[in-house]
Amino acid sequence: MENTIEIRNVTKRFGDFTAVNDLTLNVPKGSIYGFIGPNGSGKTTTLRMLMNIIFQDSGEINIFGEKYRQSFKDRIGYLPEERGLYKSMKVGELLHFFGKLKNGKNIRSESVRWLKKLGLEDWKDEKIETLSKGMGQKVQFIASVVTNPELVILDEPFSGLDPVNRDAMKDAVLELKESGKTVIFSTHDMDIAEKMCDYVFMIYKGKKVLDGTLDSIKDIYGTDIIRVITGGGMQVLKEVQNEVKGIENINDYGHIQEVRIEKNCDPQDVLKSLVAKTQVMKFEISKPSLHDIFVRIAKPVADHVGEVQNAG
Amino acid sequence: MRDKIKTITVREYKATVRTKTFLISMILVPVMMFAGIIIMKLFEDNVDTTDKNITIIDRSGIVAERLVAIAEERNKSEVFEKKDNGELKKVKPNYLFHIVQPDDENPDKQRYELSEKVRKKQIFSFVEIGKNVLHPQPAEDGSDFSSVIRYYAEGAALDDIRRWLGNPLNNELRQLRMKEAGIDPAQVTELMRWVSVNGMGLYSIDLATGEYIEARESSEGEAILAPMAMMMIMFILSILGAQPLLNSTMEEKSQKISEVILGSCSTFDFMMGKILGGVGASLSAALVYVGGGVIALRYMGRSDLIPLELIPWFFAYATLLITMMGAIMAALGSTCSTAKEAQSLAFPGMLPMVVPMMIWFMIVREPLSNFSVIASLIPPLTPMLMLLRQSTPYHIPAWQPWTGLIGVILFTLFSVWASARIFRIGILSSGKAPKLGTIIKWIFRND
Repeated sequence: MENTIEIRNVTKRFGDFTAVNDLTLNVPKGSIYGFIGPNGSGKTTTLRMLMNIIFQDSGEINIFGEKYRQSFKDRIGYLPEERGLYKSMKVGELLHFFGKLKNGKNIRSESVRWLKKLGLEDWKDEKIETLSKGMGQKVQFIASVVTNPELVILDEPFSGLDPVNRDAMKDAVLELKESGKTVIFSTHDMDIAEKMCDYVFMIYKGKKVLDGTLDSIKDIYGTDIIRVITGGGMQVLKEVQNEVKGIENINDYGHIQEVRIEKNCDPQDVLKSLVAKTQVMKFEISKPSLHDIFVRIAKPVADHVGEVQNAG
Repeated sequence: MRDKIKTITVREYKATVRTKTFLISMILVPVMMFAGIIIMKLFEDNVDTTDKNITIIDRSGIVAERLVAIAEERNKSEVFEKKDNGELKKVKPNYLFHIVQPDDENPDKQRYELSEKVRKKQIFSFVEIGKNVLHPQPAEDGSDFSSVIRYYAEGAALDDIRRWLGNPLNNELRQLRMKEAGIDPAQVTELMRWVSVNGMGLYSIDLATGEYIEARESSEGEAILAPMAMMMIMFILSILGAQPLLNSTMEEKSQKISEVILGSCSTFDFMMGKILGGVGASLSAALVYVGGGVIALRYMGRSDLIPLELIPWFFAYATLLITMMGAIMAALGSTCSTAKEAQSLAFPGMLPMVVPMMIWFMIVREPLSNFSVIASLIPPLTPMLMLLRQSTPYHIPAWQPWTGLIGVILFTLFSVWASARIFRIGILSSGKAPKLGTIIKWIFRND
């Protein structure tokens, strides 16, 4: 498989702080790659290194199969984490400026197409300062894709958007993939990452802790989650936890509870104990969600921290 | 020019010249700068014509009455001016002198009482003529009160009356001394007749016809106003084109626009685009100022005052100064995250423009002195000071402007290089503004 990005043993330090530690990662062409990780884990630093805005202290980054060249910036669309637009410029004027800065072709027609797609066609001649935050974010997104780049890097593209705009942004990202672009985005929204990404990469304290397809990552963690809805709720589950050995953790969501069991624990024992105590409306054995996996790594209770779960 | 630099330059230029601040500054700054001169010109005839009562204490007893008579003559001849329609207009105040007897027993008491009268506006001032003014000699009590004339007023240093008094009093004393010596005063006046020295420029030759071109009389305008105007324009251009880069860079950094731009181009392209946009804005203003100046002087029939040979130097130095200042301002702006931080760096960043403003008069007065030569060859100061020297009537040796120009070119290149080194780190840094030592380290850091 052809890779759009190849990162080899890249390390970046800021003084004594190691922001990215010996990172190796391949991003296949035409895929959607999700970067996840807690705040300050090194996601943005990695993305900035990919954009050649900051430089790695050691290691190698290849893009489009070659060492980085300044001209590659014209082939990469970039949406930074913190949005920055000239407030006094008009929307159309600003998109034209950013398009020209990347030596783009057909900037005007592409601007109009994207503005229409994201419901902003009536705002073309308005100043940026008159836009809402969500609108500004969509304009910033258009600025990053208006030149039809081969690789699109989006740092937190969904943050701060309402559900309608979020869907619009999701559709736009999927359209990029359909047209053969490689898309990398960072997010804190595990639901989005789980539903949209072909590959997920998680960085924690500068180190890669997860990398691969969602299924392969989930396979590592096994089928250790039981979702239950019972008449007795949390109180009964606590009694079951005392009776059945191997219940590691119970996560209470109010109407539903998630029980995490150890490998040696039989789910049938849990079910038997529950049925003996209360009415069971739902009992589902499943793999952990990406959210669960993220929390397990970022809020460590066991020995997962620092382990590289390479499932790729 | 690389396309990306050009794109940023065009945006920066438009963003600068389209602002109300630029348009207003372009008009207001020169108006304010020259307002003092204009106001002085407009109000030079607007003097206080209220009559002035002056008390004389004549301890010599020989000049007071004569002074009163001379003042009356002055009041008759100088106070009123005949207008075109025949009406008389009062253009100066009457000087009304009143003699009082000296209090020899308690002179300080008399001085105090008269001072109080001045404070209460009962009189304007008083004059004390020493006992021995006719033949000045050291006083017995050790003071020199007896051999001088003292003028007491609230604003004695700048008072027109004090300046006026010197002539009639000394003339009278000279006349008295001549009489004592048996010399005819009329004869002495003829012997002592004063011939003025007219300040002229230099003769030149018309190369086409071979005819000599007569020297022109030197004017204050040529000697001081023309150089000052040149320097002021340079200063204004820097204010318009270079200084705004400090705030705009800081804003681009704090509003995270810089990261978006750096996703499309290198830090050097970004910085150069900004600087060239500033240079463009300044040169647009320069064209307006210089063009306006040329048209105005032609209209006034003073085309001879247009320093045509200096215009290429002016544009060369202006371009270099604004590039240099722009680079410094952009670099400093990249280290700031707040308007307050930018404000605190504005003054040190402006030093290459502020220092010439502080020493310009010394340079204009003696443009060929060692001090002037050395100061004008210090690269950051060269654009303003060399041009200042070149615009005086003096002939500046040709090697000096050329050496200065080479120095400025080299220093400008160094400024751009050093600023780019600071800019590439500063623009992405966050937190507190770095200290000067850290900024210098950034220039020489290898990575």
